[in-house]
Amino acid sequence: MEPDTVRSTAGIKRSWDGLSLRNETRNSQPPTPTMAESALNVHSMFETFRDELDQHHDRRERLIKTSRDITALSKKIIFSLQRVRTANTPLPPSIAKDTKSRFTQILDLFRSTIPDITGLNNWRYQRQLSPGIQEFIEALSFNHYLTHQTLITRSEVAVHLPPEILVTEEDYVMGLFDLTGELMRFAVTSLSAGSHSQGQGQSGTEAEFDERNNQSGLPTLPPAQAGVVRDLREIRAEFESLSIPRRHGGMLRDYGKKSEVMQNSVEKVERAAYGILVRGSERPAGWKPDLSAGTEMEIY
Amino acid sequence: MIDRAIFESLQTKIDEEAAVRDELHDIVQNLARKGRSTQATLSRAHSTPAEQLKPVLEDATKEILAQKEEISRLRSVADKHPFYKYNGLWSRELQNLVSSVELCAWLGGLQEYKSSSSASFLTMEEVGKFLDIPVNLKEEDAFHLTLEEYLLALISMVEELARLAVNSVTLGDYDRPTQINQFIKDLFSGFQLLNLKNDILRKRSDGIKYSVKKVEDVVYDLSLRNLIPKGKSG
Repeated sequence: MEPDTVRSTAGIKRSWDGLSLRNETRNSQPPTPTMAESALNVHSMFETFRDELDQHHDRRERLIKTSRDITALSKKIIFSLQRVRTANTPLPPSIAKDTKSRFTQILDLFRSTIPDITGLNNWRYQRQLSPGIQEFIEALSFNHYLTHQTLITRSEVAVHLPPEILVTEEDYVMGLFDLTGELMRFAVTSLSAGSHSQGQGQSGTEAEFDERNNQSGLPTLPPAQAGVVRDLREIRAEFESLSIPRRHGGMLRDYGKKSEVMQNSVEKVERAAYGILVRGSERPAGWKPDLSAGTEMEIY
Repeated sequence: MIDRAIFESLQTKIDEEAAVRDELHDIVQNLARKGRSTQATLSRAHSTPAEQLKPVLEDATKEILAQKEEISRLRSVADKHPFYKYNGLWSRELQNLVSSVELCAWLGGLQEYKSSSSASFLTMEEVGKFLDIPVNLKEEDAFHLTLEEYLLALISMVEELARLAVNSVTLGDYDRPTQINQFIKDLFSGFQLLNLKNDILRKRSDGIKYSVKKVEDVVYDLSLRNLIPKGKSG
């Protein structure tokens, strides 16, 4: 590096000599500032640039790191929430305590980013923070669905965040796409858990419900599980009716892929519901479906 | 229960944003079209001897001024929205324009906008003054030329000058390669001061050394054969 710098500095001196001569001959302009002066200008100009770029990279890296931390915490929340078996009920206390402390940590992380994303920089670093926000929306909307059995709205998400944090439509939509994946896991596990209690003939409230509503005596899904299946189907239909213009910046890139994954998830749940209903009673107690397989493979 | 209103309001937002993008896109398209004709005019410099360059530079200046009008249209629309939300739509074309401005200035045009008549290029502030746009804003969320865009434009200019060094010789101008050599080296040492991360600026500025080498080879060939005019090189 060093010999290079020395050489090019030597080059600069000659440069301004050559340049001034050219200008004098061609444009008959007044003499130029001394070569050293001009070389110094370029040098000091780039030194300012360096400081500014350094600050930019520092902010960028800080935000990427925070975003990763938020993602990791959100994933932990989602893991805890997957231990829940029923929707539309308060979370079991142990899980609630767990997720609450993690949500608090996430909020602190979001607050720590505020100095880096004020004013002009708010949108400038949106892309750096976006993965964390999406994962957070996934966790928050899953939590919301489990306790309320409704979809969280974009403004409800914003309430959980400092006002400086942007909740863009893109991040919201991507978060909801990921939510369908979590709902798929949740639906399939709760379907299989619900079904074999019936299969074992433990006539609880669900079995009674079956008898009341089913004059024909044919098996139907317990209402709680049926609700999740219905909701997923509705989410799918709503997503499919959204039209995203081709020139839509960020959202377009992942939309197709995510949309396909979402359709697969919904189909898995539909097949699971069918399988449990028709063949559920033939499954051994404690059996759980394999979630790793694609929809094409027969998982039931 | 899924609230359909959620998706309806999403669709509204998406449509609103699409309308903004379309509006900006139309302006950028015009800017790009005019930019191509500016670049076509400036590329005549590769086949025009320096002493006959004046009409070429006048044509180029006219076209650059036409692009400047598009920039002020762009600015008036873009200023209604967060700058970095849509910046990607026009960044490339703005860079091309700045690079044309710099090349035109280096060739001897746009004299009245330079800090001194001997200056070979416009500083970022001078470019901003010429295009009538703010530069390098730190706080205020408004349309401006960013530092990265300015630096990328300088790199494009360097690449064009490397090509010009070769073509100058073909035109019988044995003096210009030396001037280009000194200027490029000057900028190159400036870029070496920057701590670049793995981004577009890094990728593009890595290319400067090849431009430097290209020009150095020309100067070497000429000096080896004593073809550089006396008294004009170091």
